[in-house]
Amino acid sequence: MTALLEDIDRLEARRGCPRQHLASRLRWFSHLCRDWLFEVPLGLLADCLHEELTQQWSSLLFDDSLTGGALAWLPPEDGGTPRGCLVYPGGQAMNHLYFQDVVLEALPHTRGSPVQFELSGRIRQVAAARVDGQDFVGVRSDYHCGVWRVPGKTGAAPAPLQVIRTDVPASCLTVSPHLPGELSVCTQSGTVYLWNVETGLQKLRHDSQTMFFRDHSPWRWSDFTAHPRVLSCADRTGLQCLDARAPKRCHFDLFKVGEEAGCQQGERVVLPMYLGRAHPSQYLVTTQFSVYVLDERLPLVPVLKWPHMMKAPPLFAHLMPGKPERSHKVLLGASRTQELLLLQYRGGSQSPCQLAGTPQKLHNIAGCLQHLPTQLPHRHHLLQQRLSAPAAGLAAMLQEDGPHKSMLIFQLSEAGDVFCQRLTHKTAQPLAPPSRDEATTAPGSSPLFEAPASSPDGLGNEGEEEEEQTFYLPNLEVIIDEEEEEEEDMSTPAPLEEAELLQEPCASPQPSPAVPSPAAALRYRRWLRALFRAWREPARHTWPSSLSQRRLFTRRDLEGPAGPSSLQRQMRQQLRQTMQEGGRIQCWEPLALQPPPLPQTWELAGGLDPLSTRLTAAWAGDWEQWWEERTSFSVAQRQRALRERRRRQKRAQGRRSLSASFTSSLTYQSELSELSDVGPSQLSHSHPPILSQEGSPPAGSPPVHSPPPSPAPEEALLSSQSFRCRGIPKERRKTLRDYLSVWAEGPPEPPEPPGSQASQLCIPSSQSQLSSASQPRRKRPRMGF
Amino acid sequence: MDSFLEEDAEAVVVVDGKRRKRRRNPAAQAAMHPSLHLPFLPPLPVSSNEHKLNFKKSKEACLDYIQDALLQKQWKRAAEFLTCYVESLEKDYSREHISASEMIWRIGTEILWHHSQSSVKEFSCFMEQMKTLGVKRYLKVCLEHVFHLLCNGQIDEAYQNLSLAESWRFGEQTAIQDKEMKLIQAYRGLLDYCSWSKQKSILLEHGEDEFSDLAVEQEMHSYFRKAAVNLKEIIKIPGVWDVFVKCYVDLLEFYGDHNEARQVLNEYAYNSKFPANPNAHVYLYQFLKRQGESKKSLISALKILHDIVPSHELMIDFNTMLQKSKKRRKRRLGLEVIFAGLDYAGWKENEKAWSCLARQVKQIVISEKHLDWIKQEWNSRKDWWPAFHFSRYLAKRNWQENKNLSYEKALVAGILLGKVGLFEMLPKTKGRIRPRISC
Repeated sequence: MTALLEDIDRLEARRGCPRQHLASRLRWFSHLCRDWLFEVPLGLLADCLHEELTQQWSSLLFDDSLTGGALAWLPPEDGGTPRGCLVYPGGQAMNHLYFQDVVLEALPHTRGSPVQFELSGRIRQVAAARVDGQDFVGVRSDYHCGVWRVPGKTGAAPAPLQVIRTDVPASCLTVSPHLPGELSVCTQSGTVYLWNVETGLQKLRHDSQTMFFRDHSPWRWSDFTAHPRVLSCADRTGLQCLDARAPKRCHFDLFKVGEEAGCQQGERVVLPMYLGRAHPSQYLVTTQFSVYVLDERLPLVPVLKWPHMMKAPPLFAHLMPGKPERSHKVLLGASRTQELLLLQYRGGSQSPCQLAGTPQKLHNIAGCLQHLPTQLPHRHHLLQQRLSAPAAGLAAMLQEDGPHKSMLIFQLSEAGDVFCQRLTHKTAQPLAPPSRDEATTAPGSSPLFEAPASSPDGLGNEGEEEEEQTFYLPNLEVIIDEEEEEEEDMSTPAPLEEAELLQEPCASPQPSPAVPSPAAALRYRRWLRALFRAWREPARHTWPSSLSQRRLFTRRDLEGPAGPSSLQRQMRQQLRQTMQEGGRIQCWEPLALQPPPLPQTWELAGGLDPLSTRLTAAWAGDWEQWWEERTSFSVAQRQRALRERRRRQKRAQGRRSLSASFTSSLTYQSELSELSDVGPSQLSHSHPPILSQEGSPPAGSPPVHSPPPSPAPEEALLSSQSFRCRGIPKERRKTLRDYLSVWAEGPPEPPEPPGSQASQLCIPSSQSQLSSASQPRRKRPRMGF
Repeated sequence: MDSFLEEDAEAVVVVDGKRRKRRRNPAAQAAMHPSLHLPFLPPLPVSSNEHKLNFKKSKEACLDYIQDALLQKQWKRAAEFLTCYVESLEKDYSREHISASEMIWRIGTEILWHHSQSSVKEFSCFMEQMKTLGVKRYLKVCLEHVFHLLCNGQIDEAYQNLSLAESWRFGEQTAIQDKEMKLIQAYRGLLDYCSWSKQKSILLEHGEDEFSDLAVEQEMHSYFRKAAVNLKEIIKIPGVWDVFVKCYVDLLEFYGDHNEARQVLNEYAYNSKFPANPNAHVYLYQFLKRQGESKKSLISALKILHDIVPSHELMIDFNTMLQKSKKRRKRRLGLEVIFAGLDYAGWKENEKAWSCLARQVKQIVISEKHLDWIKQEWNSRKDWWPAFHFSRYLAKRNWQENKNLSYEKALVAGILLGKVGLFEMLPKTKGRIRPRISC
């Protein structure tokens, strides 16, 4: 971690380019490998590179290290006191673990400052379970897993118990709901451990292969089951249960991706979860397509299946068990899309499992953007970025306050913010009977282990939750220094200063408006203020603000240039003037300006950077030649080579072979870019500048840098000399000339090359010549071949 | 979106065994896609007619809106979007046609089910249209329709629909949808069974009136024949058919065909092609018990249930049965059974189970025979039972919630742990024996 911070420190020294920090890494890398890298066979290197890129790409698309979520809610001991504790990661690198007391009133708010622990890696998962009135919190980072104990008494401090280190990244950590201090750990090498704080680690299984069929994902998961000694192990292909007392002998298959569960092709297990608090033998398995509820007693055949249709695989799940006659509520959360889905199901012992009511979509974090006061565009953008950070965790609780029942849902984003929304219970309208085949199991299945009592159809008293309001917990990371002040204010919500702008909360038309309460709106505003305060400096540069730079650097470090320099002022003035006149600026006066901001971009847009030249050359099969050119050191050498090639080119033209014309035209192009590297001076005499002089020269543009006068563009284009220069064989010259003349004659006014003209406004003369001259030519290979 | 359509269409159906081939080149997909196949990734840019793409895009957007509305219970809004989505049927260029119509069927039923202004008539009308729209899933739509009617209490109409569906013939399609046909027949059998049992109860009520009896009885028998034929068919196919099996066995038992019933239940429980279904063993056990079978066969039936589900409620009966046995081996098994049951989290506060265990342990200790049994059982549990069952926290809570449970547990704990200290908060006045042995 310190190395990373130093790295960031160094980065700050070279302010400006957001990619700068890569430079130092690259330099280290090149120092490290310049001795041997060239010895590695290219094919092998390419393979490795490809593999790495594929891996990185797939982790960009789907990051399974977050499975399980990094947010945990520790409910109050007896359920009476309206307070609990949130456990979540935070800090600059998400490597601090916070235990924050939260008071649940109309608006949940934090109380006191959180208990903090600094860990040595990014926290991926926080899991918690309550055993014997004590909460055990397991924390997983890539190479370390730790366990904390939080005594049930309010106000008792959490105590770290043990930490283990793994050689291979751990992919799972679950806490036993049965025995205190017992956890299960999986690593990506396919090993499953039972970890007891007192007796240590017990290896239950080691198998780098997946269980039922081959799948290359190293992801493994394990959880507890109804029997404290039996653990479930999962990989992408299914679940197996192992007896910890004899893991080799005693095991059975709990779920298999395949025919029994009616899985479809490509379906893989994403998150298994033991639903012990709802029913001792029930199990939840989510895939990217469906949700399954399984019963350990009837393995392999799911007792409930429902396709969730979420856009990203549900990586987080949270169970809120209902009372015996009520439905159990399962929340599913996705990371990238922040989706949140509430499912309710009932049954298992007395009646068959079935969904209760329809599933419900809850607000995601990004959805609250609409409720925030209107922002300046750049702030709006920043806010949008911040709010659309992938979700990193999910926790929820049911709160019963007399007749008012509600559900509180906490969501953690990867930026370290915790958001909260409340659903309140409404019993007003009875719902349609939910017994439909959509959610049932295999037809004809009856309740497990019970005489099929007359199926309770037409249940009107659903535990349905109606959306009422969304509101948000103050950002727990960004405004850490302001938190004290935050609290005082929160206890006495001030009246609203301005009316909340009501907008549609979702992209689709005709939505249901959900308005945050005044107190929530106030908290929003506070959060915003703090957020922007923390962001003011980084906002000027555009690098992602996942790191709180304020504490890393002094204020002076972060200060940008004081104001517009005289040069900038001058330029602005010039620009304004030109705009008024309706003219164009051919080139900026102070071309020698150190980093000319606009020309740089245009250079890229022109496509004449070394890379594209190289690619063009490689495409034409001329790569070796290009490489030789690159490796020749001096400009003189290059010029010599150029001359020689031109001679060859002429010879090739003489031969009039098609292939020769092809290669030579491309060689020419690579020469061009070659030359552009050298500088414009050599160019001006060998090639007539084209298309640069149409239109009136801008008023303020100095004559020094404007290109020398040249023949009219048509002439320049159509002259046979220019054709020959470009290595176009004679037999095609006529065709081309005809073509170009038609094109040139079209508009009576100076011909406007479509589209590209505007872009040439501020390109330095040499560049503009090159890009425009190469335009009609570049199409050639594609046209002819 | 095409992947969404077809994959979702498959996902919804549980009984659907067929798989459609994926269209994209798997190699190209492997390079572009993560290790997990994600259905909602934006599709790869395919060079094709822009018009098609636009259409596809708007279709996709429309579907998104529908989903959004459905998940927020805005049925009216969803219905409006669905009417737009119907256009995707008309202007569909690809093979997605089937999926699109299936989509409409599924979404439509869902909306009509929840929409406040929908009526059964409308629903039936919609269903009829859906049946003609997709021949390939004709029977599935029929089945769905029947379920809907049943949920609305229209049993006669449901029966008519089932009969109609049963007589449906459509070339190859009939053979392809054989599985669904079997289900349709089975459900018709189930409805016949319902009518049969209704007649039966009428008959039992008016036992004296002989004239009406005859007609009712004949009707009843005809229902029986119809039901038995269909039910018999479905339970031959490997699967979980609890409802059908129970009904069929009930029919057979009523007409005294015990052998057939026994055979059916044995087949259902012991055929290895069927999924391991604990209910099958429960039904067999209950049947045997009704038949007054010998203890031995009851015990053997329960033994298998014990092997599959040690935490089943019947294990307490099993334990009592074994405890009463004179054979040493069986009593030993009884102890094993009750220990194994209490291993499970669901049994933690099962007073009955604890009292069974307490009774048996007490017996063993008093008789001072077979103390080694307890010792053996305890050996594999002594490292985790104390924390799992006998923690101080639990003792306190049990005492507050259920005193009887506390007594039983205290007795067991006293014997197993060799000390009484753990449960010291129990009142000493209660004159219970707390024998001390060293295990």
